[in-house]
Parts: sequence; structure tokens; C-alpha cells
Amino acid sequence: MATEDRTIDGFGQVSRTVGTVFRYLLLAATLIGIVALVILLLFVANDAIQPLTADPGWHLTFFATLVVPTLAVGGYLASRNQSAAAVGVGTIGLAVVTTMFAGGLSLIFVDIVDSITWAAAVLTLAVPTAAVVAIARVSNRSPLELLAVAVILYYVSLFGVPGPLRSVVGTGQLLPGVGSAVASIPVLPVDWMLLFATFTLPVAVVVRYYARQLVDDRTATAIVAVGLVAVAIAATAAPTAGITPVPATVLASVVLLPTMTYVTTTALSRPHDRVGLALPGAVFGGSLLGAVAVRTLGYAGPQAWVDWQFLTSAHSRNAIDAGLYPAIGGSILLMLTVAVLSFPLGVGAAIYLEEYAPDNKLTRLIDVNISNLAGVPSVVYGLLGLGVFVRYFGQPSGTVLVGGATLALLILPIVIISSREAIRSVPNELRQASYGMGATRWQTVKNVILPRSFSGVLTGTILALGRAIGETAPLIMIGAPDVLFSLPADLSSKVSAMPLQVFAWSSLYATPEFYQRAVPAGVVVLVSVLLSMNSVAIVLRNKFE
Amino acid sequence: MTRDLSSGVSRRKFLLTSSAVGAAGLAGCTQNNDGGSSGGSGGSGGSDDSDDSDSTATGQPLSGTINIAGSSTVFPLSTALGEIFQEDNPEVNINVQSTGSGGGFANFFCVGDTDFNNASRPIKPEEEEQCSSNGVEPVELTVATDALTVIVNNDNDWATELTVDQLADLWSAETQPQQWSDVNSDWPDQDIELFGPSDASGTYDYFIESVLGEEGPGHRQDYSGTEQDRTIVQGVEGSEYAIGYLGFAYYTENSDRVQAVAIDDGDGPVEPSLETARTGEYTPLSRPLFTYPKVSALSEDHIAEYARFFVENTTNQDLVAGDVGYVPLTDDQQAEQMSTLEDAIERAND
Repeated sequence: MATEDRTIDGFGQVSRTVGTVFRYLLLAATLIGIVALVILLLFVANDAIQPLTADPGWHLTFFATLVVPTLAVGGYLASRNQSAAAVGVGTIGLAVVTTMFAGGLSLIFVDIVDSITWAAAVLTLAVPTAAVVAIARVSNRSPLELLAVAVILYYVSLFGVPGPLRSVVGTGQLLPGVGSAVASIPVLPVDWMLLFATFTLPVAVVVRYYARQLVDDRTATAIVAVGLVAVAIAATAAPTAGITPVPATVLASVVLLPTMTYVTTTALSRPHDRVGLALPGAVFGGSLLGAVAVRTLGYAGPQAWVDWQFLTSAHSRNAIDAGLYPAIGGSILLMLTVAVLSFPLGVGAAIYLEEYAPDNKLTRLIDVNISNLAGVPSVVYGLLGLGVFVRYFGQPSGTVLVGGATLALLILPIVIISSREAIRSVPNELRQASYGMGATRWQTVKNVILPRSFSGVLTGTILALGRAIGETAPLIMIGAPDVLFSLPADLSSKVSAMPLQVFAWSSLYATPEFYQRAVPAGVVVLVSVLLSMNSVAIVLRNKFE
Repeated sequence: MTRDLSSGVSRRKFLLTSSAVGAAGLAGCTQNNDGGSSGGSGGSGGSDDSDDSDSTATGQPLSGTINIAGSSTVFPLSTALGEIFQEDNPEVNINVQSTGSGGGFANFFCVGDTDFNNASRPIKPEEEEQCSSNGVEPVELTVATDALTVIVNNDNDWATELTVDQLADLWSAETQPQQWSDVNSDWPDQDIELFGPSDASGTYDYFIESVLGEEGPGHRQDYSGTEQDRTIVQGVEGSEYAIGYLGFAYYTENSDRVQAVAIDDGDGPVEPSLETARTGEYTPLSRPLFTYPKVSALSEDHIAEYARFFVENTTNQDLVAGDVGYVPLTDDQQAEQMSTLEDAIERAND
């Protein structure tokens, strides 16, 4: 009897209040970080865009032309047809994100790599690649022979005959490499046509590959062909609208071609979801209508600091004239360098550790160390970059190459870890089945594991790049300049980056305009770029999960 | 028959017309290839032509890179001049880094990484030694005068005028007063909060030299030291019992947030201003600012031209005083700096 009583006492008072309080405490813990960041970003966006400086009529016009129709269409779709709504949102997202990427690519093609250099580079790599593939298809050579042929072909394509071996062979240059051959042709197609051939066509091949998953071969080809014609028309018609043909070609290839293909293939393959296209119609049509209406009615828009001038000019001593252009270009170049360096290294290490490495003390030690490296503060990597690349290898400080290499080291552990997770998520049955059919380990990796895990690997890499693009400390450590007035021209020129420029404005310039206006504007651009990169990663992850 | 004939003619006509149109179209679709030398090398294994080979004095546009580091005090002047120079010479790439005078000499200039080092104090003998051991020869150019400014909180009504001795007391490593009343018993019994530039800064060195004395007790280290002048303003603005010092330009940008202390060097308190610094009344805290080009870099036309441009603009009232907030040089001072520079350029080209 006594024992029974005690158990009942021990159970204590039963009350739902404690549980409810606990539940809401957990909710608060979940939300506190997000809410704090949202409030900060709202403040920053308010400083950068200053919506209250616009005429009330401006707000009213856009409310009527853009907000109301969008809410109406969106609400209808969300309640009636979820998948159609997803198509609509996907179209808008695709158009917005590709526009941002097109902006970055235009910057590269307009100011850093001219189209002749680009075409020469593409041809230099494409010609021997095509030749090697053709030889491999036609003749039945052993892998070693193929490798030798490939090395010779790439060498000839890069350097010509005899190239740098001139001194050994003792003859003059008999045959130029593809690059210098292109450079020596006296008359070439105009810039946009070169880009069309060497940039738009590869984009079209990729787009056609994705279209092929939704519609049949002929339709996909037809859709992409129409898109290519549209790009050509856009390039030729652009000068009448005051845009030069090169950025017009890039813009049309990166925005128009994929978006048009997405819209048409979806409309053809999913007739029930066609109605979802009303959403982008409402958004873009409403924006256009609003812009026209505001102009004719004479309402002034907000005096935003994030405007065309801010995006396309360099730093200035007057905050109002200051811009982010060299920093945007620097960030793009840094990211390209980081991607080129960290992707093969990281994915290679991940494949080795997951598929090849034996489970012994050494590999476990490497394992633990990679996890630890991912948490090493970025300033330490900056010191590493300064010590190794600048001081030991004697590279000039603060260049694209040094900055890219340092940031690549910084994100390498993250790339390795996320790639390993992607590779590990490939079901083991697939491996066993592949081995069961007599495939070698190399064939299994090449034909089963890499294709299955590729999107996961890509997602992890993009998220890691997102971390790299926001890093400031390593760049300060390697001596990147605080202020730069022009884009880096090549890998060995000094580079600035968006977070570094924002930091310089916030700390080195005393006028309130710099840190109340230019800094928020820089932050808005930086966060937009980051979000668009992350959105690509999220879409990839959702699509292939 | 006539139909056949006409169709034959029209076919030939069609061919002619279409080929003419095609030729015209092709002609409109081509460009002359200049070897792809414009723009950068996109890592294509292409030619790696050096930046400065084609910059001659024969009216060709200047091109090349100019690397500048050094004092955060000279930084605003340096970037303002860089901006204007780059507008006139778009092919010249100027980059400026704020590292502090000492940091710039030790880590960038004397190891040969930069072409110019800005400094808010003259180069030290040990820095000159480091430079010469790396084959770097600096040329000293005075570019403006600064009035180092002591600031206190707007609510501070006791320390708006300080003698140099009181200032030395406040910052000396020997006395290290903890409360205002330790310096003057009339002042409040409150802890002093001290904000100043870090020891990488030329402002810090100059303050020691002019207030504490080179052989003196040394600068106290229990203060908040920073390379960011804005942090000093924020610190002093945030606390009634704070005191700090920084370059005049940063004070003028924030004169509503903090107040400047008038300094008494024996002849009564003098407020820091462009006027009192120029006339020499504001002692001992008015100081010259420098930039140091390296002689070997001056053999390159774009760098020599930028140095000349810099010195030419040291008398520019709108820019130096208006935009940046320092005291411009007089014409005589400028002529002297220009002749130093021309000598150095001549030596570089020998």
C-alpha cells in the first residue's frame, strides 16, 4: 500500500501549462535568429531603397497594377491548383535568377574577356576534345593509346607545333596553336556572332538536354531552335534599344533561351499546369504596365541607392557617386577561381574517401581532421594564404589568384563533407548491382555513383561558394586593396570583393552618407547575389532528391 | 517559252540578288581582328603581354597598375586623388589599402609590394633600413598638413580646454590616471574611457612624439586602440567620460557628434581648425602628412605621372580642404616637393 502511494506522489502534479510553456519556448528558440535577421535586413533594405521617398501615387499605381493582380492570381492558383502555382513561381524565379547571372556574365564578356579571346579559348579546348571523342568512337584503341593521343592533341591545340619544345627540336614554329591561329585570322565575325557560336550554342545544348526530359526529341530541338533565332534577333535588334550586341547576346542566351524553353516545354507536357503561367504574366505584365503608367502620370519613384549607377560605377569620394562595380566583378572572378580550384579537389577527395579509402587509422584521422578544418576560423586561412602564397611562393599580394586560392582552401573541407554526404546517399544496392554485372570500381564510380550524386555534390559546392563570397577576413589578410577603381583584368591583378568594399565604406569613410546609405546598398546587393546562388542550390536539391 | 525564259531570268536574278545580299550581310558581320590584344587574357594560355610596355611619353594613353598602402589618415586624400586620376587615365588601375603608416612600410612597401606608402609621420630609421635591405629607395613627399584633434563627449564641460601637460598626464604610461579627478581634482570622480589609434598608426606615433616626447614615459596601453577612426568617434560619442584623438578630417565629418578640445601650448587654448593649423598657431598637434613613392617605380611613366599629379593637387583648396578636410600646402612648399619629385624621377630614369 505504502509503495503504491509513493509512486502516485512521485508522478507529481499533472498540468498542461508546463508542457505548453515549454513548447512555446522551443518555438521562440526556433524563431529568434530568423526574426532578428529579418528585422535587420528590413532596416538595411529600407536604408538602401528608401521606399518612403516615392510619391504616394507611385505606390498606389504599382499597388493597382502589380500587387493586386499578383495576389489575385497567386491566391487563385494556390487554392485551386498547387502544381500550376509551382510552375508560375518557378518561371518567375528562373527569370529573376538567370537575369542576375546574365548580369554577371555580361560584366565578364564586356569588360574582362573579349569575345575573340573567349572564342579562341573555347576552340582550343573543343577541337582536341571533339577529336579524341571521335577517335575513341571510331577505332578500338587501348586506354593508354587514347591518353597519349589526347595529350598530343591538347598540346598541339594549346601551343602548336613544336610549341615550347622549339629549342629542343631546333626548328621554328611550324604550325600555330588553335588560339594563336584564331588570333592571326585578319577578319572575323563580329563580337556577338563569335559569342553566339561559342557561348550561346553550348548553352543551347544544355537547355536542350533538360527540355528532352519533358518532351520528345524533335519538339525539344524545335523549341531550342526557335530560342536560338530569338537570341539572334535580340542581338541584332538590341542597338535600336540602346544596348550593345554583346550583353544583349549574353542576356538573351542566359535569360530568354532557358525561360522560353521552360515555359513551352511545361505548357506542352503539363497541360493542366498551363494556367500557372498567368502568375509570371501578372508579375511582369503588371511591372511593365506600372512603369509605363508611372512615367505617363509623372510620379517619382523612390530615391533608391541600389540603382543602375550604383551597380556600374566605382568607388567615389562622394557617397552619392560611389558604386560597387569593381567589387562585383572582383567577387565574380574570385568565385570562378574558387569553383575551378575547389570543385575537382573537393569532389576528388570525397570520392576517394567514400569509395576507395580503406577503413583504417589513417583514414579515420583524415576524417576527423577534415571535419575540424571546416570549423577553422577564416582569418586563419587568410594567414595561411598570406604565408604560403604571398610570402613563400612570392605572389603579389591581394590578387585574384591568391584570393581565389585562399578562399578555395577555406571552403575545401565543406565541399568534401557535403560531396561525401551526396555520394553516401547513393543506395548501396546500386553499387552491388553494378559490381554484379561485372563492372570495375572505376566504371561503377563513373557510370553509377557520379551521375546519381552529381546534383547533391553541386548543391553542396554552391552553398560552400555562398560562404566564400561573403568572406572578408581572409581577403584583408592577403592584402586585398580597400579601394579599387577598375575591374581586375586577369588572374594576377589586384581584386576587391563586395564584402570588403562594404567593410571599407563602413570603417574608412567618416561621412554618415557612406555608412547610412552606401553600406546598406552594398549589403542588399551582396545578400541578393547570395540568395540567388542559394536558390539555385535549393532547386537542384529538391529536383533530384 | 516566254514563261520558261522569264523563270530562268528570275532564277538568275534571284541568285544574283541573294548572293549580293549575302555578301553585304557578311561584310556587315565581320570585324578586323587585332589579335585579341584588348581586354584581359582569360586564362586561355594566350599571350601574357606586360601591362606597362606600351606606356611611352609619345601621347599614348598611360596604362598600368599603381599599388598604394599606408596611413588611414592619408587614405581619404589618396583615394580622392586616385579617383580623379583614374577618370582622366582609364587605363591606369589604382588600388589603395589602409594599413596604418607602420604596417604599410613593414608589410607592403619595404618588401617591394607597393609603389607608394602613405604616412602620417616621417619614415623611421629602422624602416629605411628594412627598405634598403630589399633594394627599395623611398622619396619623402609632403602632401598636406593635418591638425591632430583631441575629442571629448558633447556633454563634457570640464575638459574642453586642455594644456599639453594635462594631455600628457592623461595618456602617459607612467601616471595612468584612472579617474578624471586624478588629473585635476576639480574634475568628476569618474573613470576615464580612452579611445585612440592603434600602434600601427602614424597618428599614434605622432601623438607620442609631440605630446609625450620620444624619450618620455610612453603611451599607456590600457585604452581602446583601433585602425578605424569611426570607432573612436563612436566610442567618445557613446560615453560622457570618454576622450580620444584622431585626424582632423574625421573630426570635421563628425563635428556634431563629438566636440574638439582646444589645446593650450603655453599661449592660451587654440581650437583645431584649418586656419590655426595653417598659421602654425595650433601646436604641437599640427603635423605634416606624407606619401613615399619608391624611386625604382618612378621610372614607369604612369607612376611618375600620378606622383606629379598628387603633388600638383596638394595646393588644391577644394579637394584637400573641402572634400577631405586637411590643410593644403602653400605654393612655395609645393614647388619644393615638386623639385624633390623631379629629382627622384630623373634618378629613376638614369
